[in-house]
Amino acid sequence: MATIKDITGSPLLLALVIGGLGYIMAFSVVYLLKARKRALEMGITKKEINDIIKSSLIFSIVPSLSIVIGLVALAASLGTIWAWWRLSVIGSLSFETQIASSLAPVLGYANTTELMNNATGEQFGVVMILMSVGMLSGFLILIPFGKKLMTSVDKTKGGNGWSNVLSGCFMLTLLAVYVPVLLISDTIQALVMITGLIVAIVMGIVGKKPGWTWINNFIMAGSMILGMVSSLLWTAIFK
Amino acid sequence: MSKKTTAPITLDPFQAWAHRWGRLGTVIALIYMIALPFIVLNYYDCIPTLGQVFNIATFGILAIYIPVGLSEAISYSPLMGASSYLGFITGNIMNLKLPCAVNALKLSGKEANTPEGDVAASIGVAASSIMTVVILTLAALLISFISPIFELPAVQTMSSYLLPALFGSMTLGLFASTGAGSKVVKGGIKGVIPVIVIVSLVTLAARLMGIGSAVLGMVGFLILAMLPVAIITSRILWKKGKIQVVDTNVPAEDAEAK
Repeated sequence: MATIKDITGSPLLLALVIGGLGYIMAFSVVYLLKARKRALEMGITKKEINDIIKSSLIFSIVPSLSIVIGLVALAASLGTIWAWWRLSVIGSLSFETQIASSLAPVLGYANTTELMNNATGEQFGVVMILMSVGMLSGFLILIPFGKKLMTSVDKTKGGNGWSNVLSGCFMLTLLAVYVPVLLISDTIQALVMITGLIVAIVMGIVGKKPGWTWINNFIMAGSMILGMVSSLLWTAIFK
Repeated sequence: MSKKTTAPITLDPFQAWAHRWGRLGTVIALIYMIALPFIVLNYYDCIPTLGQVFNIATFGILAIYIPVGLSEAISYSPLMGASSYLGFITGNIMNLKLPCAVNALKLSGKEANTPEGDVAASIGVAASSIMTVVILTLAALLISFISPIFELPAVQTMSSYLLPALFGSMTLGLFASTGAGSKVVKGGIKGVIPVIVIVSLVTLAARLMGIGSAVLGMVGFLILAMLPVAIITSRILWKKGKIQVVDTNVPAEDAEAK
């Protein structure tokens, strides 16, 4: 009978994960090239496109490093290969780590170490299947109804219509839910968010000055990093 | 002011490509993702029974995943437009892909839910997806070397505050993207006032009970529950003329006079 270690360290699993990630990379590159080609046809300049790419790459580094922390944590309970796969596709850092922390008791083990030492292949199979199937719920909406959802808020319909209001509604609801939760639920969280916001405003003001427009490409990355760094100060003061 | 939509939507070639080939590419990726564990488990002859996978103990895991997935698809795909297919397949939407889409819209000065906005957001999301896969691959290869760094308390503290920092940096961009373009929604914020009040009261109550931090884990449920509230309120206020859509070259007073 195979054990959890046979599966988490399986060469077959590694080969399939590499194949899957190769497909995801190819899919991303095709998406990028298609969008870039259409952007040029629309009159968006090469410089503007390169600015978006550069800014997205830089911006992605810090959240990706946070995901790496998740990878290190998940690797302890799921093995490196499966954790690498889960965090590269569909998975969300916060929910994958939540799942990982709840795995041991669900499978009848006291902690992660006991799970990694004693679980059977079948038990790990339960985890793999649950993680693969559970997050698919979003695709049950996206695949059949995604086009309808997106076109319902399309602003090119013309007229001073409802679609414009509806489109803004999604963004505003996101803010109306997240901002009070972040501001009220925890003092340090609130201070970190306010710090990030203030830094973004200051960088925005500086970016309007002649010779400083380049800073606009780094507003989100810069304010996010300084917001995160400020958590060390706020934690030292308030905890 | 006409409130009726006047023209049917003609999809831009890129949007049409995304809805056809992007969607097909997503379906292929999904089939692969579901098949992967079964191939491995079958090879080791340890496919669990249906009862082992779906039971009361594992319901807790599904109870986390399913509402989050539904909430993300309903609330984020209208924001991300044609980039949704790629964004959803590569995951980490709230903490990475959506901010990248917002950043791309802000940088390019394009409006969400327009062909130009969809193209800009897709460029940002695709670049971000490639970067994340590269970084995670390097991290997986070097995990034994980098683990000590990422286990430092300071690094873990900073990482645990990614979301509030992200929202601090993204809020301006989100507001800017609701106000960009040739048409602007005046008074749109009024439609989410009930949401702000309800969520604030729920969060405050949770904090007073000492479970404030648990609310963040329920955000997926809250968004799913609050979207209908926001949409219905906005619809009523739009019908009453309290929320208006105006051309950016027409002053609000003129629009009200109309």
